[in-house]
Amino acid sequence: MRDAYDLIVIGGGPAGITGALTAVECGVEDVLIIERGDRLGGILNQCTHSGFGMAYFGEEMTGTEFAGRLRERIKGSKVEAMTGSMVLGISEDRTVIVSNESGCARLHARAVILATGCRERPLSSLQVTGTRPSGVFEAGAAQKMLNLGGYDIGDDIVVLGSGDVGLVVARCLAQRGRRVIGVFEIRDICGGSDKNRTECLDFYGIPLYFRHTVTRIHGDGRISGVTMKDLDSGEERFIPCKTLITSLGLVPERELVEPLEYENGSLPEWLFTCGDARTVHDTVDAVAFEAEETGAAAAEFLREALTNERFYSFQ
Amino acid sequence: MRTEYDAAVIGAGLLGCFAARELVRYGLHTVVLEEREDICTGISRANSAIVYTGCDTKPGTIKTEMCVRANRGFDDLCRELGVRFSRCGSLMICFGSGGLEVLKKKYDQGLKNGVQGIRMLGPEETYEMEPHLASGIMASLYAEGTGTVLPWELCCAAAENAAANGAEFRFDSRVTGVTRSAGEYTIRTTSGDIRTRSVIDCAGLFADEIQEMLFEPTVRLFPKRGDYYVLDTKAQGYISHVIFHEPEDKKKSDEFDKGGDKGLTLVPTVEGNILVGPSNMPADDKRSRATERDGFELLDRRISEVVPDLPMRHMIRSFSSLRPNPFNVELSGGGYVRSGKSISNFTIMEPGGDPSFLSFIGIKTPGMTCAQQLGRYAAEKLAAYFGAEEDPRFDPVRSAPVRMADLPLSERDAIIKTRPDYGRIVCRCRGVSEGEIIDAIKSVPGAVTADGIKRRTGAGGGRCQGGFCTQKTIEILARELGCRPEDITKDGCGSYILTGGETDA
Repeated sequence: MRDAYDLIVIGGGPAGITGALTAVECGVEDVLIIERGDRLGGILNQCTHSGFGMAYFGEEMTGTEFAGRLRERIKGSKVEAMTGSMVLGISEDRTVIVSNESGCARLHARAVILATGCRERPLSSLQVTGTRPSGVFEAGAAQKMLNLGGYDIGDDIVVLGSGDVGLVVARCLAQRGRRVIGVFEIRDICGGSDKNRTECLDFYGIPLYFRHTVTRIHGDGRISGVTMKDLDSGEERFIPCKTLITSLGLVPERELVEPLEYENGSLPEWLFTCGDARTVHDTVDAVAFEAEETGAAAAEFLREALTNERFYSFQ
Repeated sequence: MRTEYDAAVIGAGLLGCFAARELVRYGLHTVVLEEREDICTGISRANSAIVYTGCDTKPGTIKTEMCVRANRGFDDLCRELGVRFSRCGSLMICFGSGGLEVLKKKYDQGLKNGVQGIRMLGPEETYEMEPHLASGIMASLYAEGTGTVLPWELCCAAAENAAANGAEFRFDSRVTGVTRSAGEYTIRTTSGDIRTRSVIDCAGLFADEIQEMLFEPTVRLFPKRGDYYVLDTKAQGYISHVIFHEPEDKKKSDEFDKGGDKGLTLVPTVEGNILVGPSNMPADDKRSRATERDGFELLDRRISEVVPDLPMRHMIRSFSSLRPNPFNVELSGGGYVRSGKSISNFTIMEPGGDPSFLSFIGIKTPGMTCAQQLGRYAAEKLAAYFGAEEDPRFDPVRSAPVRMADLPLSERDAIIKTRPDYGRIVCRCRGVSEGEIIDAIKSVPGAVTADGIKRRTGAGGGRCQGGFCTQKTIEILARELGCRPEDITKDGCGSYILTGGETDA
């Protein structure tokens, strides 16, 4: 493995892969993707449901199929991929520090694309009272346990928040014969798409309650219930449950670039962000299109940078 | 496993673990009986993480003596036990003349107690040290000796050092009865009986109940709840000292049964978080760990007065603790009732008239600071009683666990070359590797739950609160312990995470 690349892409999900592929198509010579998981695909690997690819590939497919297509493209390209590797930091001198089983190394890059996706907002960041039992899962974490781990995460489920991931997980649990008590949303609109609302909730008879929120967690050991507040009537009632899934919103994961941010929030010209790490997108297809633009922009930057480098080294 | 001991310590919190560590120093065969699955699950789990100087208590008490001595020796203790300690100093601030009186009293008290490095500061110097404090500060009391340590890290270190020197730990062993005959105690536990020549009651909130298994009630514990917030490391640097603001109108805050007011404390922890709290609320259930709305409301009000621009958007967790307040009790109308005010000194009792039954009832602030001193106290008492000498084989050193995030790059690389699992990062927020998690499981006494891993390594305690790493942590625990992932709990007591039938029944 070399220690210098023209372009290093951090994150091997849909954004990182399409960004890297586009950069290569635009003439960038050597591109490395660093992925913390054991294989490329990112969040798509746990999305066993359909509804992906219509815009990007022109046909509907599952998330895992979408990931498979992207991996095929990587195989046929000269993009290098380093999996099972965590980036620990990016420094001003364009060094990416990476840790994996073989060591901890500094890799130099002429340009870097951050494509680390997003993370879920945990329930504990809200001022919810009560105990801290087990059986409380963020929707994405639950999806990973169900679809990738093959685990069972419990029955009698309350879903708090109506984001798309929450809706999809509610369906996934209903399909496994689990009792989903309802989806409770603090606002008066569904956070997820109309399509998901119909396909994931209505079809399975899962009720969606607006203007409701959890104010208290009950249970020692495993969760035994929640206090649900109706914001209109102000009434609170106890809902027994054995599992609580939260879908409280997604936060771009951009901690790696925060130390490099200028005061106005902009980044050095060699550092790009794309996908959900830049801003949370509604669909993976939209992520892929945006990442193509970012890959092209990084290629354009590198073309100019290399021209300048040659010019100066010639002098 | 042996069933006869020189000393049985009840409770594996800070006090129990340090008592065990100091007892084995004298070569005493020691067992620690713990009702839960791991160390540090009771009141030691949740407190303000502060190492106090000794300005806050009256001269001449054992509490003050121990606190001053403990503070002076804390760097050495932490070096010996491989524990991270930050002597960050503290500022106790006040906004009015009532508060100024309190500060002056503490300053004089501190001088009398022999506390070094304390100074009264004016507003200018105070704001220079902590620019984010609310406007209108009249003065502050600076104590350079105040520090902070993670209670569970300290507790793990004491437990590991005790175990390395021969102390046994028995978990899932709730004490159900104690009897004495022919100078020997028999302790019944949920995992079998043991016999011992002495009992050291370090059962935290339940220390009174343990003592009453054998003796008449004299002191009982009445808990008060403290709610806390934890801010993400993104707020690091907002404060750099421990900040205390005590209620400035003392009369109002002294009534025990009312929603009292402890003011506000902010602590910059060794992990880079900011701890905010505690509230001080009435509580009746000693086993409750629930946070409450009134506690949050009090904290929010205090924050707006003391640090109005505290970045609360960085809050990642809230939790509550229970403070064990000891009161003398007396018989009245067929039952025991509280009499007088809460006992402020440490309540160390020998209810049988000799040190063979030693109770620590109501060791509240500065209990963590003094844990080693209290353990030492117990060990010296018993050693004298038994005529035991210090064991020259005792090794006080416990080497710190590997913490990859704290190592420079070259060292990280070198250590991964010898153990590749140190290169696999499991907890993204805190950069904890699989190797560190394996170490935590293999340490003695080792982690058996997801929370046990969090307490020992920090994994799962960052800004995503385990959303990313919990599954992996469970899988590593199951693999190393030789069980199914479904058998792994969050923190014992039926807290199954993945379900394989146990919780579905």
